[in-house]
Order: sequence, then C-alpha cells, then structure tokens
Amino acid sequence: MHCVGTKILTVEDDERIRLAVTLALEEEGWEVVEAETGERALDTFNATPTDVVLIDIMLPGIDGFEVCRSIRRNSDVPIIMVTARADTHDVVAGLEAGADDYLTKPFAPKELSARIRAMLRRTRANEPGDLERIKVGELEISPDEGLVLKDGEELHLTKTEFKLLVELASQPGKVFSREVLLERVWGYDYFGDGRLVDVHVRRLRTKVEADPASPRYVVTSRGLGYKLQP
Amino acid sequence: MERGGWWRSLLARVTIAYAVGSLLLTTTVAFATFELTQSRLLSDAQSQHLEQFKNNVTDVRLRFQALPEDPEDIELVYGDLLAQLSTPNGSQPLLSPSPEQFRGRGGVSEDDLPTNIRARIQLTDLEVLQQRYTRNGEPRYVLAVNLGDQGVAYYEFVSLADVDATLQSLRLILVGVAVGAGLLGALLGWYAARSALAPLPRISNAALAIAEGDLDTKIEFQADRDLATLSEAFNYMVEAVRERIEREQRFTSDVSHELRSPLMTLTASVEVLERRSESLPDVAQQAVELLSQDLERFQRLVEDLLEISRLEAGAVQLQLSRFRLAEFLDNVVRGERHQNVVVHHPPRGDTISITADKRRLAQVMTNLIQNAKKYGDGDVEVSFEAVGEDIHIAVEDSGPGVPFEQRERIFERFGRIGSSAGNRAIETGFGLGLSLVAEHVRIHGGTVRVTDRIDGQHGARFVVQLPLGEHVDVVEEMAE
Repeated sequence: MHCVGTKILTVEDDERIRLAVTLALEEEGWEVVEAETGERALDTFNATPTDVVLIDIMLPGIDGFEVCRSIRRNSDVPIIMVTARADTHDVVAGLEAGADDYLTKPFAPKELSARIRAMLRRTRANEPGDLERIKVGELEISPDEGLVLKDGEELHLTKTEFKLLVELASQPGKVFSREVLLERVWGYDYFGDGRLVDVHVRRLRTKVEADPASPRYVVTSRGLGYKLQP
Repeated sequence: MERGGWWRSLLARVTIAYAVGSLLLTTTVAFATFELTQSRLLSDAQSQHLEQFKNNVTDVRLRFQALPEDPEDIELVYGDLLAQLSTPNGSQPLLSPSPEQFRGRGGVSEDDLPTNIRARIQLTDLEVLQQRYTRNGEPRYVLAVNLGDQGVAYYEFVSLADVDATLQSLRLILVGVAVGAGLLGALLGWYAARSALAPLPRISNAALAIAEGDLDTKIEFQADRDLATLSEAFNYMVEAVRERIEREQRFTSDVSHELRSPLMTLTASVEVLERRSESLPDVAQQAVELLSQDLERFQRLVEDLLEISRLEAGAVQLQLSRFRLAEFLDNVVRGERHQNVVVHHPPRGDTISITADKRRLAQVMTNLIQNAKKYGDGDVEVSFEAVGEDIHIAVEDSGPGVPFEQRERIFERFGRIGSSAGNRAIETGFGLGLSLVAEHVRIHGGTVRVTDRIDGQHGARFVVQLPLGEHVDVVEEMAE
C-alpha cells in the first residue's frame, strides 16, 4: 500500500480518543505519532519528519489554531483540523490559521484516511508529467517542479494553495465553480464545504497579489466561482 | 387575545376621564355661580321693591282709615288711590278691599295672583308676603300684605323678565363655558395621555425586535426620569434574557462536546473491529455489525438532537450559497445511493437556481426521501417546479399516505404516525427527521406540508416550498 511509511502526527488531548484513532489509523496502514498537547506536538513535529498533521482545535495550553500557525511558519505539511461543529467560525479560523482541510468530530477513520490520501495525492501529483510551464502576467507556474515564480522570485505556497493555483492556471480565463475546485483540489463530492475554496483563494491572494483586496490574478466571478485572469 | 373596542384603549380612557372630570368641575362651578347670581339678583330686586311696597302700604292704610260712606265715592277713592300709588319699578298694584273684591291698575286682576297666596294672606296680619311664580311664561314676583280689619289686602306685581333675561344669558354663557371646558379637558387629556404613551411604540418595537432574536436591542429614555427607570429595567431584562440564552447555548455546546468524545472513541474502535471481523467468530461478527449500525444511528440521533437544540436557541447561521436545483437534487440522490428514487426534471428545470444552505437542504431532502422509502413501498419520486417567487419540491411515495388528522403532528418531534408503538420513533432514529425538516425549511423562510398524491394514486406527497431567494445577497467571500 502506498501509505506504508507515511507518518501522521495526531494531536489530541483525550487519551481514549487518541488511542482509538491511532488504532484505527494503524489498521489502515499509516504510521502514527501521537502528541497530547500543543507544546508536545510542536516538539515532535520539529524532531520527526511528518507527512500529515491532524490537530484537534480544542487543546489545553496552546490551542489547535496556534499549533497550526506555528507549523505553517516554516512548513507546508498538509494539516487537517478536527472541529466540534461544521457551522461555526472555528472552521474558517482553522483554515485561516493554515489548515488544508477539516473534519468534524466524531469522524470515521475511514473518511480521515480518504482525506489523507486525497491530500497526499495532490502533494505527489507534481511528479514529472505532461504539464507545461504556465505564464500569466508576472507569474510563472511550473507544475512539474512545484514552483511558482513572481518576477523571477519563488513564492512559498502550501501544497493545497499550489494545487489550487495550478487548477485555475490550467485554463486561464475560465471560471471554475466551487464544486469543481472542491472535487479537483480536495477530492470532495458535490457537498463539499465551499468555504475551503474561499479561504484558500484568500490565502493564495495574499501571496500572489500585490494588493489582495483588489486582485489582479485570482479573480472572483460573482455567483459562479473563480478564475485566473490571463 | 381580544382587543376590544376603541374605548378599551388607554388613550381613549384617559381622554374621557379628563373630559368628564373637567366637565364635572366646570358644571359644579357654573351651577354654583348661577345659583348665587340668581339669588343675589332676585334679592336685590326684591329689596328694592320692598321699600316702595312699604311706602305704598302706608298710603293705602291711610286712605282706608278714612273711607267715605257712599259706595260710589268709595270706588272713586279706590281709583284715585290706585292712580296715586308710586311704582317707579314698573310694578302693578292690586287692591283687595275684601277677599272677594279686587281693583287693579294696568289690567291686573285677581286672576294674576298665584292661587295659594290668597289663602295664606288670611292667616297673616300686616306681614309682607313675597312669592315668586310664573304666569303665562313670564316670571313674576308678588308682594302681599293683609291690612287687618275687614279683610283688606294690598298686592303688588313685579315682572322679573329683566332679571330672568339676565339669568338666561348667564345660563347660556355658563353652559358654553362648561362644554368648552369639557372639550378642553378632553384635548388636554388626549395630549397628556399621548405624550405619556409616546414611548410605548418604541418599547413594543424593541420587544418585537428581541422576540425576533435581536438581543442587542436597547431603549434609551435619558431625558425623562420616569422613563429612564423603565428603560433601565427593560434593558436589564434584555440583558438577563441574553445571558440565559447564552448559558443555554453554552450548555448545548458543552453537551455536544461531551457526547462527541465518547462517540469518537466508539466510532474508531468499532471501525477497527469491523476491519478485523473476518477473524472473529460468527456470533461476534453479528454483534459487531449490530453495534456498528446502531452506533451510526445513535450518532445521527445525537447530531439531530443537537441541531434541534441549536435551532431552538436560534444559534444556527445558514451558510447560504446559490446553486442549480436540478444538479443539487441529482447529487442528493446519487450521494445517498438511493435506489428506486427518481428525480423528475421539469422543462427548463436546469435554469432554476436557489439560494439556500446546501448542506441543510440536502439533509431536508435526505430525510424526506428516507421517510418516503421507509413508509411508502417501492419507488420514490422527486419533482420540482418554480411557482412565482417560490420553488416547490415534492417527494412522493406509494405507501398508505398520511391520515388527515396526522398531517400536522407528523412534523412534531417524535410525532410519527402510529406512535402507539411507543419508543419505535427513538429506536429507528427517524422520529426527529421530519421535525428537523420542518425546522430547516422554516429558517429558510419556507413551509413543508404533506398531502395525498395529486395523480390519484395511493401515497403521500411531501411538498417543500422555499423562496427562490433571487434577491438574497450571498456573501461570496468572507470579509475580504
């Protein structure tokens, strides 16, 4: 199985949940490292190479948002947040802190595995393929190398932001609906959460746009979706 | 609640009270004024006449002391006397030499006398009697005296027409004043009540806003001390209500968190068991399967209960987006792997878009479809059509339908048909489904109802009616 050797860091303060989730994930074939607090999680993350991080936002001490922000400062590792509810601001706050995706508790470990696989697929999609370099304005995107240059300088995007940009850049000027982007970037079906797209677009803009408030590249097409302005 | 007639309103009652009060007061004052003036005017007139009358009485007495013998001469004396009597006030003298004889000046006769004075005068002696009376509509006043011997009496009539005219005018004026004061009182009362009641619309508007969930509503009446007390009490109440609601919401979210943790452990553990079920004995495999199914059911029930309590606390915020209904319904049916469920697209149905919370509307449709599959045998048909500003989504089954008297109750919590089966509702986890449907549709500003199928076949037809929400401004991107 392709997930053998893939290391997942689970950050969860409830010992019983941590144990059960670890058991289930190991059953699915992943390698699991546990941390019960935010502090431990950061120490572990810095000491061990990790492929995916799973963070419960309700943590004593440093909360999940802060852990997420700390990791994001110098890593583009895929992060999945675990929130109590889908309709709270926690989701948006977590995504803004740098999470790539979220799950609501209680989730099925099978679903978590599917999310992890989708995420790793998009981080591994950048192997040599037939995608060519795309030039849009000052932006130069090379999907094969996983590189984005602006005015010749490399931009640091997370894997999800990169995948989103490549998706939009595959057909510059074409409007992509949220549903399409959710499916292609995150692997969701029709009922994926549109906020994933919205927040990632916003994050992407802070990196590629000179003025994120009035974007030049990643443009909203009201009521329809987003497009990359050629 | 019965509102009653206009007189039940505070404004009307205060106005009427003021009017009646001032009318009563001015009427009393007017009445007293009239009475005082009348007696004063009359006594003035009487005392004036009394002096003159006494002088005349003296004259009459003197003449009667020296009456001639000849009856013809006597008549001359009478005539002479009557002519001589001084009456500067316009009074008219009447001589009565005996109780049966009367000689008057200016056409007065004994007929002008009030009846009882002739009797009364017999009982007196040299005493002046005075009496007011009305003759032929004219107010009058008679002075009378019994001159003692031989039943001689002398009368004088005084017309009170002038005094009466004065009193009439006075009465008119006083009635006018009383009526005017009453009206003024009513006006004053209306104005006072209106100013006193002026804050009421603000208070009721604030109360309505609070009832609709706007707990930031405050009222301010700083200018008026009494009203400031009211507004403080009101704002305090709002604050207390808000705190209570927040406490309940906290409780809900605490409970939610408390329940989620063990459910998480259970879900993960059962999944491990399921993966390993092949290595388990048959009995254990069956047990794991039961466990897994009921865990899922339990989880859905918990989710539904939490969603309902959130809805009741008004804590649900819809995540609105605009999407095509046909595509949405196809995905609902496909996503849930519903078999025997057909979505009928109307002509040009692909052009119909709706603004709604996609996840919650999907839950509505899923619940209705599951309900239809459970209670209606065989196929489930989903159809939709735009009707004016609304969209109607119908879910039809081929079951026994819903009896007329159950059609309201079915949307209540655990209000399933045939709930005589006791806890079957809880057991199957569908008891909350339709009440959630009703609540979700309601917060979308729509309605849901159940009828018979309209094509004449057996079965229930659930119709969700939602506003298309074309003009709803969907927040495309949050706080850019």
